[in-house]
Amino acid sequence: MFSPGAGTDGYRRLNRKCLLSMYFGHAISYAILLGAFVLVEIYAQGFLGPNYDLVRYAFIAVLAIVLAYMIVSPPVFYARYRYRITEDRIDVRCGILFIRHILVPIERVHQVEVSRGPINSMLGLADVTITTAGGVATLNYLEAEEAEKVAELLDSLVGRMLKERVPGPGVPATEPTGD
Amino acid sequence: MQGTEMIAPGERVRCHPSVIVENSLSVVVLVALLVTRFETTAVAGVLAAAVVALLLFNYRQWKLTTIRFGETEIVVERDTLFKMKKTLPYAKIAAVNVNRGIVNRLFGTSKLQININSGSSATVPEAVLTFREDTADELRSAILERLHDGEVVPDEDEPAESLVSFSPADVVVHGLFSVPTYQTTFGSVFLAYSIVELYTSAGAGFRGDGRALVSLLIFVALQVAPAVSLIFRYYNYRVYRRGETIYLQHGFFRTYKTSFDVSRVNAVRVKSTLAARLLHRSWIEAEVVGLASGTGESLRPVLCLLKDDATQQRLLRELVPEFVYDRNPERQPEEAKGVLLVRAAIASFTLVLAAAYPSIYLYRETAALTGVTGTVLPYALPLATALAVLAIFYATYVSYRITEFDAGRDLFTFVNGAVDRETIVMNYDKVQMVRVEKGPVARLFGVARARVHLLSSTGGTSVGSGYFEEGRLRAIGETVMARIASGEYDYRKNSV
Repeated sequence: MFSPGAGTDGYRRLNRKCLLSMYFGHAISYAILLGAFVLVEIYAQGFLGPNYDLVRYAFIAVLAIVLAYMIVSPPVFYARYRYRITEDRIDVRCGILFIRHILVPIERVHQVEVSRGPINSMLGLADVTITTAGGVATLNYLEAEEAEKVAELLDSLVGRMLKERVPGPGVPATEPTGD
Repeated sequence: MQGTEMIAPGERVRCHPSVIVENSLSVVVLVALLVTRFETTAVAGVLAAAVVALLLFNYRQWKLTTIRFGETEIVVERDTLFKMKKTLPYAKIAAVNVNRGIVNRLFGTSKLQININSGSSATVPEAVLTFREDTADELRSAILERLHDGEVVPDEDEPAESLVSFSPADVVVHGLFSVPTYQTTFGSVFLAYSIVELYTSAGAGFRGDGRALVSLLIFVALQVAPAVSLIFRYYNYRVYRRGETIYLQHGFFRTYKTSFDVSRVNAVRVKSTLAARLLHRSWIEAEVVGLASGTGESLRPVLCLLKDDATQQRLLRELVPEFVYDRNPERQPEEAKGVLLVRAAIASFTLVLAAAYPSIYLYRETAALTGVTGTVLPYALPLATALAVLAIFYATYVSYRITEFDAGRDLFTFVNGAVDRETIVMNYDKVQMVRVEKGPVARLFGVARARVHLLSSTGGTSVGSGYFEEGRLRAIGETVMARIASGEYDYRKNSV
C-alpha cells in the first residue's frame, strides 16, 4: 500500500527539502534565544550583581550546545525518519537522540488533518496529524502532494472500514470472525 | 415537569428552578461578605443591584433553556443572546450519573450528569441537568434502559449487597493512606518545621513571625485536606455488579451514584502507597471514559478502597473478572540495570552540581554561628544532598527489582513505581497507539521502553513500561494488530 517511492522494506523516506525547513525553523528559534541573550547582556548586570558572570557564561554554554544540536539534528532526523502506511496500520520510525517506533492501527484513527506553516508552505511541505482516542501521531515534513494523498488514503481506509460495519436494511453488521 | 410523573417523549422541559439559586449562590455569598466591608449605603446599594441583576440573568437563562428527551437523542437548547443547541444521541452516551450536593439536598433535587464517549471532553460532562430527585432517578433509569438495548435496568435503590463491606474505619484508613507518598513527605516536612518554629518561638513569648502558621497551613493543604476530602467522598462506600453493569455509591455531604458498563473499562489499576504497602493494603481504580464527577485524580472511579491484598484480589475476581488472568510476569533484564544506574548517576551528578554553590554559600553564611545551629547548619545542605543521592540509588535498585511486564492472551500488565506502586492491567483491544522508544543509553544496553496510549477517565493518556528487550515490547502492538486482523477484536464492544 502506498508503495511508489518506498524502499524494499516498504518504508518511505522524506524529501531532502525537510532539512531546509528544519534549518529555517531552528534559525528562527535561535534568533529568539540570541535576542534573550542580548537582553541579559544589556539589562541583567544591574540586578544580578556578582552573579552576572556566572549567568552569562551559563547562557553562552547553553547557546553553544543549542547551536550544535540545531546544526547536527536535521541530518540525523532525515536519515532516521521512515514511515509506512499499509491496509491496517501506520508505522513511523523517527528520532534524534531518542529513537521512536510508533504504531497506529488504522482501526483506531478518528481524525486526519493536513497542516502547513509558513516555512513548509514556502517549501511545498506539510504535516499530517493522525488523531486517535488515546493520543496523536504526526507524519512530519511530507511533500504537500504526498501529504494530501496520505490523508485521502487514510480517510478512504477508515471510511471503508466504517462502511463495512454499517448494516444495510435487514442485514446484520459484519460479525467478528474470531472465536 | 417537576412532578414525579415521567416526562413524555419529545416534551420540552426545564430544569428545577433551584438552579437559579445554585448558579447565583457563590456570587451572593461573595457580595454579602463585601457588603460587611463597606459601610456606605451607596456601595452596598450597587452590590445589591448587582445581585438582583445576576438573579434576573440566571432566571432568564433558566426560563429560556429547555431540554427535550427525544426518541433518539437528548436536545438541550438555550434561546438567550448566546444561543446554544446541544444534541446528545443516546447511542453516543457513555454514562449517566446522579449526584447531590448540599444545595440539592436543601431543595430535594439531584444533578443528572450526561457524558458522551469522547477523549477530548472526558473530564467535563456534556450536560448537567438539575431535576427533582425522583425525576432525575427516573430519567437516569430510562436513559440507561436505552443504553442497554431496552433491557430493564434494576432500580439502584433496591437493596443490593456490596461485594465487600467497607466500615467507616476502612474509609478513614483509605483517606489517610491513599494520599501520594511525596505529598505526605512534603506535608510532614512542613509540619515538622511548624512544630520547631512553635517550639523555638515559645521561649520568646510566641513572637513568631507567622512562619509556623504558614507551614501549618501548607501541611493542612497538602495532607489533611486531601485526606478529609477522600473520607467524605467515600463515606458509606458500596460497590456491586449486576449483569454487565458496575454500580458505585458513596458520599457524605455530596452523594454519588455511578454506574457503567464493564465494556467501558479500558484498564484496571491496583495501587498502593508506601504507607499502604506497610499495612499490606491496596486499592483498585478503573479507567472508564465519561464518568466526570470531580477533578484530577478523583475522576477515576475507585472500585475498591484500601483493603488487605487478599480481599482486594477477591473483589477484582468478582467485580471485573474480565481483567483477571494467570499472570506470568517477567522482570527487567540484566541490561536494564545498566541504563537505570546511568540514569541514577546523571540525576545524582545534576543534583550535586545544583547543590554545590548553595552549599558553599550556606557554609560561609553560617560557619560563624555558635551552638547547635552553628554545628548543624553549615553542613545541612551537603548532608541533605548526600541523603538525596542515596535515595536516588535506592529508588533505582527498588525500581529495577519491582518493574514487571506481562503479556497474556487478551490482557497485558505493567508494574511500575519504586515508592507508590501501580499494577496496570490493560486490554489489547483498548490500545489506541503504541510507542516503543530507545534513548542513547538504552541503545547502548540494547533495551527499550514502551508507551501505550489509551482512552482514560481523564481523556487520552499513556502508560509507560520499564526497560525490556525491544522485541518483547513491540509484541504489544503486533498483538493488537493480530487481534484486529483475526476478528478477535469486536468493535461493538470497544467503540469509543
